[in-house]
Parts: sequence; C-alpha cells; structure tokens
Amino acid sequence: MKTDDLIRTLAADAVGPRIGRTTLMLHLILSLAAALGVVWVVLGFRADLPASLVTPVSALRIVLTAGLGFAAVRLAIGLSRPEGRDQARLWPLAVIGAVALGLLVWAYATTPAEARQMATVGKTMVTCLVTIPLLSILPVASLLAMLRRGATTAPALAGFVAGLAGSGFAAAIYALHCTEDSPLFYVTWYGLAIMSVAVFSSAWGARLLRW
Amino acid sequence: MAVRSDDWETLLTAANAGDAKAYAKFLLTVAPILRGVVKAKGGKLGEAECEDIVQDVLLAVHLKRHTWHPGAPVRPWLYAITRYKVVDAFRARGGRVYLPIEEFVEHLASDSGPDPTDAADMAKMIGMLDSRSALIVRKIGIEGASVGETGQALGMSEGAVRVALHRAMKALAILRERHLK
Repeated sequence: MKTDDLIRTLAADAVGPRIGRTTLMLHLILSLAAALGVVWVVLGFRADLPASLVTPVSALRIVLTAGLGFAAVRLAIGLSRPEGRDQARLWPLAVIGAVALGLLVWAYATTPAEARQMATVGKTMVTCLVTIPLLSILPVASLLAMLRRGATTAPALAGFVAGLAGSGFAAAIYALHCTEDSPLFYVTWYGLAIMSVAVFSSAWGARLLRW
Repeated sequence: MAVRSDDWETLLTAANAGDAKAYAKFLLTVAPILRGVVKAKGGKLGEAECEDIVQDVLLAVHLKRHTWHPGAPVRPWLYAITRYKVVDAFRARGGRVYLPIEEFVEHLASDSGPDPTDAADMAKMIGMLDSRSALIVRKIGIEGASVGETGQALGMSEGAVRVALHRAMKALAILRERHLK
C-alpha cells in the first residue's frame, strides 16, 4: 500500500472517539473513594483522628503523602502526552523526598537512643506494608488506564510516576487509620511501601504503555 | 514552499473536529518531513523499509491525534511521536539511533518526491485483518472509494463502515507492533 493510499484511508477515519480528561480523573477519584471506604469500614479511623490532624508531626504524614499524590498525578498527566517527556519537571517529587528524609534525620536526632528501635519498628509494620499496596491497586490501575489512552513516550517513567501517585494517595488514606506518629516509623515503612508499588508499576508501565 | 507552523495547528484542529479534507491535507503536508527524518537517520535501510517506518509513524499519529491539545504547538507533539516510533522501528531492525528533537529542524528541507515503492509491510498486515476489514481498507485506500460508496458495495451503513474502519486502523497498529518484536 502506497503512503498516499494510507493517508486516504486514515483521512476517511477522521471522526474519532474523544475521551474527556474529566472522565479519566473521575475514575481516579472513585477508586480513591473506594479505598477510603475500605479503610473506614474494615480498619476504622483512628480514635483520636481530629486531634492527630492538628498535631504537626502526625499531620505531616498526610500532607507529605497526599502532596506526593498530587505532584505525581500532575506529572502523570503531562507524561501522557508524547512531548511530555521533554517537559516533565521532576523537582516537586525531589522536594517531597528531601522533606521526608529531613524529617527522618530530625526524628532520629530527637528520639532518645534507647527508644529509636521501638519507634522505628512500631507495632503495625506488617499491616502498613500490606495495606498500602493493597489500597494502591485501584488508583494505580486507573492512572495506568489513563496513560494507556494517552501516548507516553516514556513508558517506564510514566508507570513509576503512576505508582507514586496511586500509592501516595493510598498512604494518605491509610494514615487516617494508622496511629504510628514517629517519622522513624512512617518515613521508613510508608516510604518502602510507596517505593515498592512504584517499582512494580514501572515494570508494568514498561510493558503496558507501549504503543 | 515552507509550510508555516500555524497552518499545521489550523489543519489539525479542523481534522480533530472531523474534517476529513483538512486531515488529509495535514497528513500529506507532514509525510515528506517525516520521510526526510527517517531517510536521514536510516541510511543503511532501503527506501521501501524507510517508507514502512514513515507509514508506522503516520498510523501512530492517526491513533494518538486526540493527545494533541488544541492551542498547543503541533511540532513538538509530532516530533515526539516521530522520535518514539522511529527509535522503536530502528531498534527492531537491529540498529540504534540517537534522535534529539533539535535535529528535526535540519531535516525539514529534505523532502522527497513521490513514494519510491509500494511499502510491503502494510500490505502484509492488511492481509492479516479479517476479510471484511481488509476489503474496507482496500476499497477506501487503494480504490479511493468514499465511506458511503464502500457501504453501498458491502451492504453496510455508513456508520458501520466508519466503526469497522476505525477498528481496522487500531488492529493494524497492533499487528505492526507485534511484527516488530
């Protein structure tokens, strides 16, 4: 088939389906609402939730993870376009990572030596490492679906960012249940859970997001 | 005969609103530029193989044209798609290619005349479609029939032909992607 013939064929297919970005964002919001419902019904919110929200060191868990979620979603939307790879700004993610690490160092310095190990291991490490990835599944899937409808030219990076976004929000929702308020605990284990999801999502992205 | 960038934006806006004539004009305008890039980069490849890659890019542009945002410049978008598909195609053919976006400008002038050969890949892929889809693609593409005429010939409504054609384009892209691996 000659190229001019191909062009004639493509032109005949000029009316294509258009999917609004709002519809795609709706899927993400619904999946986050579902995760919130699961935490509320199955695990329950922490009893002192209102007080924890005004305690800076505790509230920072939610600020950091939700901030990561918003920054990564923004980046994922950019990466869903072909030219997005050249315009991607990674520094918001780096800032959040740096603040989290700073918090970890600060907590290490201010926690008495004999209390550090207990504060780090906590009581709910396993629950945290299992629950955050489980809560991430739907949000990450909805973001990967959005990226698949788009045309990313950086499939692995886009998958990684989708993983950060989904698990960042999942961690913020999980924090409404979790009572571990030491940065030694939450930067370590929330961070590990989020990074694992992101690495998995990156591997998926490298396969799913090719076109 | 430099084509101004704002013409591309106007054409693609009209195309995405369903204007088939503007769309054909857009594709005909960008095809020589894509061809220039592919030829400049794929020195060792034959002309027919280069044309296969040009067609890959055109098909990708077609299926992803909704990712262009009206108001944004067309060039960075188009070049990003081209780079992605060209790198992919060269890698599949055993070569590596480094294709920075800035280099596209210098290829703009390297136009070439008519298609050198019938590109072989696309014909093969069309043969792998189900028979009715292949028939629709050949009627419209090679015989130059309109959607309406094709529908009459096959006893299908115009809408049904459009749906089948769109599915066929998607199927072709998937077949070609698999073929590359």
